[in-house]
Amino acid sequence: MQLKHNNVKDVLIVRPLEKRIDASTAAEFKQNMNEWIDSGNRRIVLNLSEVDFIDSSGLGAIISGFKKIGNEGNIVICVVKESVMSLFRLTRMNRVFDIYTSENEALEALSGKA
Amino acid sequence: MKPTVSKISKSDLKASIDYHLRCSLCKEPPTKDYRDLFLSTAFSLRDRMAEKILHTEQRYQTSQTKRVYYLSLEFLIGRLMGNNLHNLGMFDVCREFMTEAGIDIEEVREQENDPGLGNGGLGRLAACFLDSMATLDIAGFGYGIHYEYGLFKQEIDNGYQREKPDNWLADLNPWEFKRTDEKCIIPIKGRIEHFQDRDGEYNPMWLDWNFIVGIPFDIPVVGYGGKTVNWLRLYGAGSSADFDIQIFNEGDYFRAVEQKVASETITKMLYPLDTIMSGRELRLVQEYFLVACTLKDIIRRYLKNNENFDRFPDQVAIQMNDTHPSLAVAELMRLLVDEYALPWKHAWEVTQQTLAYTNHTVLAEALEKWPAALLERVIPRHLQIIYEINRQFLEKIAARYPGDVDLLQRMSLIEEGESKLVRMAHLALVGSHSVNGVSSLHTEILKQDNFSDFYALWPERFVNVTNGITQRRWLLEANPRLAGLITDTIGDTWITDLSRLRGLEPYADQTVFMDEFRDIKRANKEDLSKIISDTLWLSINPDSLFDIHIKRIHEYKRQLLKIMHIVHEYLQIVRGEKTPTVAKTFIFAGKAAPGYWVAKQIIKLIHNVGQVINQDKRIQDALKVVFLPDYSVSLAEKIIPAADLSEQISMAGQEASGTGNMKFMLNGALTVGTLDGANVEMLEEAGADNIFIFGLKAEEITDMIKKKNYYPVEYYRLFPEIRRVLDAFRDNTFCPDEQGIFQWIYHRMMNNKDPYFHLPDFFPYIQMQDQIEAEYLDPVNWTKKAVRNVARSGKFSSDRAVSDYNRLIWNKKAPS
Repeated sequence: MQLKHNNVKDVLIVRPLEKRIDASTAAEFKQNMNEWIDSGNRRIVLNLSEVDFIDSSGLGAIISGFKKIGNEGNIVICVVKESVMSLFRLTRMNRVFDIYTSENEALEALSGKA
Repeated sequence: MKPTVSKISKSDLKASIDYHLRCSLCKEPPTKDYRDLFLSTAFSLRDRMAEKILHTEQRYQTSQTKRVYYLSLEFLIGRLMGNNLHNLGMFDVCREFMTEAGIDIEEVREQENDPGLGNGGLGRLAACFLDSMATLDIAGFGYGIHYEYGLFKQEIDNGYQREKPDNWLADLNPWEFKRTDEKCIIPIKGRIEHFQDRDGEYNPMWLDWNFIVGIPFDIPVVGYGGKTVNWLRLYGAGSSADFDIQIFNEGDYFRAVEQKVASETITKMLYPLDTIMSGRELRLVQEYFLVACTLKDIIRRYLKNNENFDRFPDQVAIQMNDTHPSLAVAELMRLLVDEYALPWKHAWEVTQQTLAYTNHTVLAEALEKWPAALLERVIPRHLQIIYEINRQFLEKIAARYPGDVDLLQRMSLIEEGESKLVRMAHLALVGSHSVNGVSSLHTEILKQDNFSDFYALWPERFVNVTNGITQRRWLLEANPRLAGLITDTIGDTWITDLSRLRGLEPYADQTVFMDEFRDIKRANKEDLSKIISDTLWLSINPDSLFDIHIKRIHEYKRQLLKIMHIVHEYLQIVRGEKTPTVAKTFIFAGKAAPGYWVAKQIIKLIHNVGQVINQDKRIQDALKVVFLPDYSVSLAEKIIPAADLSEQISMAGQEASGTGNMKFMLNGALTVGTLDGANVEMLEEAGADNIFIFGLKAEEITDMIKKKNYYPVEYYRLFPEIRRVLDAFRDNTFCPDEQGIFQWIYHRMMNNKDPYFHLPDFFPYIQMQDQIEAEYLDPVNWTKKAVRNVARSGKFSSDRAVSDYNRLIWNKKAPS
């Protein structure tokens, strides 16, 4: 799975370069997220601008990262296509995550948080 | 109403058919290949209907009309070519064109598969309603399942029913449009993760689901006159290439194929009605799949013109055809609350104001109850929602009737026990603004018995809408001779206003009209005799009384009572107690659910009784017993116009309405029946002199059951006529080569206490049959009664039924 990532100050920006996050890629995605969190990243922006579809295993991988960080930081999501947003609404994950329309907005929101 | 479609000339029709022969079928015109002619004609009609769909949609958009969505697990639409030709006003042109080309239009129509997408009355009713909604210019649309295999094909082997798959889609279906652009994703299974949202509130998350892809297939539904063309949308389950590609990419070919097959299995087959038992997971998935696809589609369409759900109940009416689609309550709540973030209270108001529920049965075993554990596995979020609906509902009941624990248990959506069951009828009742029965008697039984607690709570929600049938199919198309006579006599307004048939009343005394009426019946009987001869190699006397019992085989419908009467007459004749005065042909047709042993034995019994009687030279053709295999809509269209006597003899209180009874009445058969279902209203309409009513009433049976004072053994002991009929079943008279196979009948009557009350109704029934025989000997009087039946059948049009729904439930006006 192709994942682009870079840091802006202490915020890690992760951008999957795949159109789909599904059973075939979710495990790798989850492992990468775990490694980044284990290595100290506590503020993460997940940019889904390239993603058209996430199946339940992909959504599960995002939830897993969210749980792993727990109260020690935050994961926010940005640039979500409607096809993916509808899956967030289906699972009610949109009520758990802060979702922003642009990466800058997400960065700003996350940077503003202690 | 005259057809409003611009008249098509023969040359235009020919050009259109030739075009499709060339461009759709790659065949050189002209052709006399009936199959090719059917397909190219169907494509020609579809072209016109496609344009009309677009015009109709524009009209609906402009007028912002409220849309009615009719959800049904079954749509028994029958063959469409004749119906579409009639409603488009093209039948005569098409027939003339084909006749001039030396082609028999009936042969062409015979090429069409008869889609068996239903078990019987409920599915056929849904199809009639679509025809009426389009004819009445109501924005009404059907939503159902695109079953790959319809109800099984019935074959008979030594009198036993054998089931064969009905692969109606094996050939091209020229009517439908596959709309892959409007496919949808339906989540299923998974688990609930109990989480908190950003504000710390409880936020259940539905995770680890799989998904099914719902692919719509649209079949145009043209109203008479051609002004309005609605559609029936049937969803097939698939696993599109888009969604499987990753698995293929991984090289796991077998897993990809397995997933594809598993998804497609969901809409593989229609369940025969009497084998739908709780716990059949695939059936539950079908019900969920239908409501999930449908509601997604309805909301998608609604949100094109609306930004929120405030106008949803003003713009959308959803009618649930029986309990099968009742998951719509939970799914609509889930969509509104979870996906569109409406507050629960608002979502509940929208849901209740939008949904309405038609109950079609009082049989306890047919009121679905699904194990909660199964729902939790298949649709865990919906079970949560059902629990919450129930909690809030029971809170209200407890507040209104403090301390009545029994009432809470009776009304609860959940039946407690060893394993919890979800009462789907209660879910439909609680989640709807209206519940209706389908005949006056049935609605009263619902109010007083099955749903009495709910009626006490919400009397205003209960309404009756007696079923109806479309005269366009069941008279205009099925019985062209009679339709022609009626039109010649009183004009053609009856085609869209069946009450106009009252205009025939004066003709019930006119000799010329009655002679023509009788000649038509005779011609129809000749046609049916030929079908019987071609199918069964059995010679039938068209002058005999055609006594017809066609419907699904079920004990409550009492085919067995009919057979007992036949055996009684047979024994009377062979023992010299009776000299037959009226030759009779008893005609049966109907399918038995594959797992319903008794029903299948009844089919075997009919065949064996027929074999003995038909070959007994002592009878001299006074009695003939016929079983026509593979009952279907198209077979019914051939049988009903030929009927003299219509058998509607169910145990009173069991048949919700019946619609076959109405079809026979419309076609000039006299009815012998119990006071059950719509027979009660047929009696009111026809008048007691024109219908043969016999037997116990529903309340008398209920009383006997309550008091436990029915002793079948007493009937056996006291009445020799009953005794010898039952003994004939026991002593192998009708099964010399398979000894003992009919002994179950005696045991069913004696040891199982005759649960369908055959014996108390037997005597009144044979007495009534004697009266019928006497009356049949007077053809003038018989014909008068038959004409009066036709003239007084106006109430039983599905146009009236749909208008009632529109006025009483959907509360909408036809667009101007």
